[in-house]
Amino acid sequence: MNCTGVRDQLTEHAIGILSLRDASSVDRHLQWCAACRKEAGDLQRASATLAFSAAAAEPPAELQDRVVADVRAAAGVRVAHQAPPRRTRWAAAAVAAAFVAVSGLGWGAVMAGRAARFEDRADVATMQQRTALEEFQRLVRVIEFSDPKDQVFIGQLVPAQGSGGGGAAMTLVSPSIIDLAIVMVNGVPPDRWATLPFTVHLTAPDGERLKVGRIESLDSGGADTISREFNRDLTGFDRVVVVDAKGRVVMAGPLATKADVASPAP
Amino acid sequence: MEGLLAGSDDAIRALYGRYGRPVYSLGLRLLGTREAAEELTQDVFVTAWRKAARFDPARGRLSTWLMTIAHNLAVDRLRRETGVTRPTLVLVDEVPDAPGVDEETLLIERDAAMRALASLNDAERRLIVRAYFRGLTAREISEADGIPLGTIKTRLRTAMIKVRKANEGKELV
Repeated sequence: MNCTGVRDQLTEHAIGILSLRDASSVDRHLQWCAACRKEAGDLQRASATLAFSAAAAEPPAELQDRVVADVRAAAGVRVAHQAPPRRTRWAAAAVAAAFVAVSGLGWGAVMAGRAARFEDRADVATMQQRTALEEFQRLVRVIEFSDPKDQVFIGQLVPAQGSGGGGAAMTLVSPSIIDLAIVMVNGVPPDRWATLPFTVHLTAPDGERLKVGRIESLDSGGADTISREFNRDLTGFDRVVVVDAKGRVVMAGPLATKADVASPAP
Repeated sequence: MEGLLAGSDDAIRALYGRYGRPVYSLGLRLLGTREAAEELTQDVFVTAWRKAARFDPARGRLSTWLMTIAHNLAVDRLRRETGVTRPTLVLVDEVPDAPGVDEETLLIERDAAMRALASLNDAERRLIVRAYFRGLTAREISEADGIPLGTIKTRLRTAMIKVRKANEGKELV
């Protein structure tokens, strides 16, 4: 897209009402075009100004604590006063936090931001995915599970034929605490972004499916991470399937116990 | 920002203290319910943590960055919902102002926003409401009004430039 085409879309880009595909095209142009970037910045500031026109409403007092807990959990920081004498959901939260940290903030994201071409970012995504799997395996070794019956399953997601990208997934299956699923996708090529949202399911051999969540948008590296806590037993759910908005499989992969999981080839 | 990255309690509370209320207010304005506004606020700060490493203060103010995250997440959610569930939005909200942390900063930001809106004529203000606060695309507005897409884009751009110019020379730190 040239400067004329980009500037035609900058206002909608600043307001946040461009389609994901168009917004991504504009973002790519802005990475190297200083003139358009300046105009985009001006419009972005105007857009942010409008955000403050909403009359001030007072959020509930406890919202601050929830926000702090969410961010600290995402950052992998245990909140002392919330740490229970026995392991409850915090161990799972720590796993989730570390996973999100690996997938969302680590060197992979930084490098993906620097990679000029999507193909380069896809290479980075592959390395990031491998790092995520290795991090999973490290966490499984490090975390002290109070219940010896706790099980962690991890696996690699591979793209369907004609698709691209990949991913990693993990489930925590425990008889004593919440069960948990975390799924990361990355390197999804831009030509698949028009088929968002993706829906992520856990599936069992008998055909039963559990929804982990929806991936509404992807970052510039074609990546996103979702997680869900389940109040039911995830035993037997041994496969992760990601489908697009039309129900077509984007990527999938089996979940296996940690001993059976190997990192994807470099 | 380093404190936010590290998950520092103080840093998160400081950021929330400054922007929690405007983020929540924007969420309430766009999404229409307190529950949705609370969820949005939580999502915004977690997203900010995830993207904190990419924030470049040389390229823009923290408030611009954070409120852009908030608005984008809100519009994404708004556009996922059906027209039936979209709240009816007006620029003059019935929710009263309430004192809070960092009140002066918020009042300055709010003043800038109101000055920007006052610089628009009625048609421009209605256009901004539909695009910015209801998440309608230029094409959707064009089709609804039977006005050429190019005309809508030009009017939208003109309105946004007015918003920008209304506060030139009054940049906040």
